[in-house]
Amino acid sequence: MASADKPINTDVPEKDVFTLHFLQSLSNLRRQNTFNSPEKTNDRVKKIKKAAYVSMARAAGGTNRLWSRALLRRAAKENSKVVRFPRRKKRVTCLRRRRSNRRDPVEEEEAERLRNLVPGGGGMETSKLMEETAHYIKCLSMQVKVMQCLVDGLAPK
Amino acid sequence: MLEGLVSPENLSLSSMDMNVLERLKWLQQQQQQQVVSQSSDNSPELLQILQFHESNNDELLQSTFSHFQMLGSCFGPSPNMGFGPSHEAMDGCISRTSSFQMVPVDTMGVMLKNSEENRTISSKNKRKSEVKRREEEKTEKKIKVEAETESNMKGKSSMSNNTEASSDTSKETSKGASEIQKLDYIHVRSRRGQATDRHSLAERARREKISKKMKYLQDIVPGCKKVTGQAGMLDEIINYVQSLQTQVEFLSMKLAVLDSELELAVEDLYVKQDQTLQAYFTNLPVVNASKPSIMVDVPLFPLDQQGSLDLSVINLSQTTSTEAPSASWETQSRSLFNTSSLGFHY
Repeated sequence: MASADKPINTDVPEKDVFTLHFLQSLSNLRRQNTFNSPEKTNDRVKKIKKAAYVSMARAAGGTNRLWSRALLRRAAKENSKVVRFPRRKKRVTCLRRRRSNRRDPVEEEEAERLRNLVPGGGGMETSKLMEETAHYIKCLSMQVKVMQCLVDGLAPK
Repeated sequence: MLEGLVSPENLSLSSMDMNVLERLKWLQQQQQQQVVSQSSDNSPELLQILQFHESNNDELLQSTFSHFQMLGSCFGPSPNMGFGPSHEAMDGCISRTSSFQMVPVDTMGVMLKNSEENRTISSKNKRKSEVKRREEEKTEKKIKVEAETESNMKGKSSMSNNTEASSDTSKETSKGASEIQKLDYIHVRSRRGQATDRHSLAERARREKISKKMKYLQDIVPGCKKVTGQAGMLDEIINYVQSLQTQVEFLSMKLAVLDSELELAVEDLYVKQDQTLQAYFTNLPVVNASKPSIMVDVPLFPLDQQGSLDLSVINLSQTTSTEAPSASWETQSRSLFNTSSLGFHY
C-alpha cells in the first residue's frame, strides 16, 4: 500500500487555452437563432454558464481528469436527456462498509460536502478527491479570471 | 550546521504524528546499508548503493558523516563511503541525516522525521523491552536477526523505530545488493498502546496520505493557513469552491446582459476574433470573414451546441460583416483581443 509518493501533479494550462475554448463556445452559442432574444435571460445565463463549465473542462484536461470527465459526461447527458445521471456512489459505500469504524466521522462529513461540490466526486476515494479538488480549484480560478477579463473588455466605455 | 538547522524544528514540533511512508523508505535504506556493510565491505553492490545515495545529497552527507565518524561505530568501511557506520550509531542526528538523504526536497518529510527523532530520544528507555516484544509478535514478517543483535549490542538503537508494515520494497531493493532483495517485509514496531494490525497500519498510512494532500490544498486556497485542524481547513476549502462557483455564475450573468446589448456586432466580432485567435494558436493564415467554413466546426464542439447550427443565421451575419470594410473588423477584434490579453497581465 505504501507505494512511492509521486509528486502531486496539478499543472493547469495557460490562460490562453481557457480563453480560446470559452470564446469558441460563446461564438457557437451566439450563432443560435434564439440566443439573443431579450426575454428568457435566465435561459441565456444558464447556457452561458454551462458553456463556461464545459469549455473549462475541455481546456483544463479533457478526459485526463476525473472531474472534467464527469462534467463533460454530465453535459452530454443533459443535451440528449433531461434526466441527470445518477452519482456513482458504489465504490465509496463499499469502502465505507469495509472500514466503517475507522474513518473519522467529521472528516467524512466534510468530504461528503466536497463530493457534492466537485463534479465526479461521488466515485472517488478521499485522497483522490483531494487531488481533484486542488486541480478543480486551480481551473475554476483561471476560468473566473478569463471571464472577468472578458466582461471588462466588453463593458461599455 | 545540521544541529542548528534541526534544533528549532525540534522545538516547534509537538505532534506525535509519524510519517509512515517516509519512515518506510528510511528504514529500507537503513537495512540496505546494514546488510551491505555486514556482508562485504568493498562489494560492488555497496559501491552501487553508496554511489546512488551520494548522488542525492553529497555535501550534507559528507559533513554529517564526518561528524559522526567520531562517535564511533563498528562497521568500518573507508571514511569516504562511511554510510553504514554512521547509521549504526544511535543518535537522533544520524537518522536525521538519512532523512535528508532520503527526501532532499520534501521538507515536510524532514520535519516529520525530526518529530520521530524527538520521540526516539524520549522513548529510548522503552525500546529494549519493545525489541523483545516485537520479536515475539513477528509471525509473518521476516526478521533481520543480524540487525537486531547488532542494535541490541549497540544498546541505543533507534533505527528500528518504525511502524510501517509494507511489502513494497521492490524499487529500493532493485538498486541494492541481492541480499537486500530478501527483505520483503519491513519491521513493524508498534507505538505504545497501538495495535500492529494490518488494518490500523494501513489506515494510518491512508490518513497520512490524506493529510499530505490537505497540506497541498492549504497552499492553494488563500487564507487557509491560519485555520488549524483538518475540519476547519476543509470548511475553508469548501467555502472557497462555493465562492468560485458563484463567481462563475455571476460573471456569466454579466456576460449575458452585456451580450444582449451588443447583438450582432459582437457576434461578428467574435467570429473574427476566433479566427484571429485560431490563427494565433494554430499558425494558420487568417481567413477572411466571408468564409463561414471555419466557424462551422462541428466536430470541435459537439457538446457546446445546444441545437443544430443554423446556417442561415451565419450567412446573415456574414453578409453584414462583408459590408463593413474588413480592415475595421480586424482592428476592432484585435483591440478586443488586446484588452482581454492585457487584463491577463496581473
